[in-house]
Amino acid sequence: MNGKRALPSGAGIGLRAPHVGELLATRPAVPWLEVHPENYMSGGPALVLLEAVRREYPVSLHGVGLSLGTAGDLDARHLSRLRSLVDRLEPCLVSEHLSWSTAGGAYLNHLLPLPYTDETLRVVADHIDEVQNALGRRILIENPSSYLRFRHSSMAEPHFLAELARRTGCGLLCDVNNIYVSAWNVGLDAGSYLDALPVPAIGEIHLAGHAANDADGRTILIDDHGSPVTAPVWKLYQRALERFGSVPTLIEWDTDIPELSVLLGEASVADRLLEAFTSEDDHACAA
Amino acid sequence: MLALRELQARFTDSLFATEDPTLLDLVDGDGLDARARLAVYRHHVLTTLTATLEAAYPVVCRLVDRRFFGYAADAFIRRHLPTEPCLAEYGAGFPDFLASFPACGALPYLPDVARLEWAVHTAAQHSDAASLDLARLRRVDPRDMAQLRFVPDPSLALLASPWPVDRIWKAHQEGTSKELPGLQDGPVCLQIHVVGETVAMRVLEPATFAFRDALTRGLTLGEAAGSALERDPSFGLQQAISELLDDCIFSNFTLVTEERA
Repeated sequence: MNGKRALPSGAGIGLRAPHVGELLATRPAVPWLEVHPENYMSGGPALVLLEAVRREYPVSLHGVGLSLGTAGDLDARHLSRLRSLVDRLEPCLVSEHLSWSTAGGAYLNHLLPLPYTDETLRVVADHIDEVQNALGRRILIENPSSYLRFRHSSMAEPHFLAELARRTGCGLLCDVNNIYVSAWNVGLDAGSYLDALPVPAIGEIHLAGHAANDADGRTILIDDHGSPVTAPVWKLYQRALERFGSVPTLIEWDTDIPELSVLLGEASVADRLLEAFTSEDDHACAA
Repeated sequence: MLALRELQARFTDSLFATEDPTLLDLVDGDGLDARARLAVYRHHVLTTLTATLEAAYPVVCRLVDRRFFGYAADAFIRRHLPTEPCLAEYGAGFPDFLASFPACGALPYLPDVARLEWAVHTAAQHSDAASLDLARLRRVDPRDMAQLRFVPDPSLALLASPWPVDRIWKAHQEGTSKELPGLQDGPVCLQIHVVGETVAMRVLEPATFAFRDALTRGLTLGEAAGSALERDPSFGLQQAISELLDDCIFSNFTLVTEERA
């Protein structure tokens, strides 16, 4: 299996620990899987099982720990552990986030927001260069879900992402649910956001559910990956496909994880929508 | 405007220490108080890290109930944020924290139960390590035996407690309804390590524990035998070595004379 090819077409699922046993036992017809590398860096039985999964399915590594937006050096140990895992698993794709998680030696376990300034652009672009050089491959960068924005940002988020892709050659992972959640929370126009993303850079789409919480009498949408994809997000997804064409899509589910069949059901919904945008050429490539 | 490094330091402080007015001014509230927006991030960090600790310390959580666990976890997290992104490795300091947490004073055995859970949790992240090269060990000159130093299997932990923490732990496994042991049923010496794909927990005699504990701490076979004999003058070294090899808790060895060379 060629590990460095692009993602297979079609809709994959995020693989979480409770589903690994069932997946290996039943081998459902899902085209690809995605995991968080941080869950496998300690090695041991979890990694042994993931290697068994990898022998059956293409796997994408979706990192949450590099903290590309941290002012200062990347965590060299973490990058080295990621490289070891990439060498071992030969994933079909590696992605990370436009965010920061580490400051002053503390890891905050959240994808925290950045001001979109020239300084941030330099910091993130340098870090993406460093990661792409270390891994010897192109990575994708995902748009975050936002609960605030900074007054001194001088660029809109999609323009910032487009500029990162231009400077570093990285691809973009368009999380449609994140766009919907951010648009609601910080007052963006989701359609204009999609229109501002550079089409050739989009290498993957994410879909997930979100929750609605009350914050001082106002509804804030929380990107908790704990429920089915909502109707407005499916609608925005269709609009994304109209703009980007048939892009490999992933269903993520991280809290209140349901039966594996529920995730596979969500993926088949995405697959049906994807088929409408799959050209004859795409079919030839996938064959 | 703040430089990015400064903004990130003040953001972290505002989440877990002192709210920073300069940072709050930079947040576009858009009709919602900047504090309420920061609270969304704080809440996520605390709840996900609490869930991480709960997954590593399920018995402690059952012993104190989830609400109190959340209270203790919150205090721990604010003082000891993770230092790196692999969260399976987060929480090593929780047992010591519980020992110093005044609200846990009524449960003196709680920190040792937590230490046992951490040993089980970390062992479960290891596969069977390479086994000791017995053929090479047999070739060691008997006169050099006292100078052997062993390298422990990475999954190995040894734990001595004045409380019957193994039985407390077993009584609180999911689906069990065993009676709680009396606290007078302690003390206990435990060995935790991975055998095949499972974590094995074994009760050791105090002299055997002293012997293995000394070896784990890097003392030589001769020194470890001395520790065991102090504990129990009838300690049988031959049998102890034979049992040690049967248990496969050491993955390599060196000779002190070779180390010097």
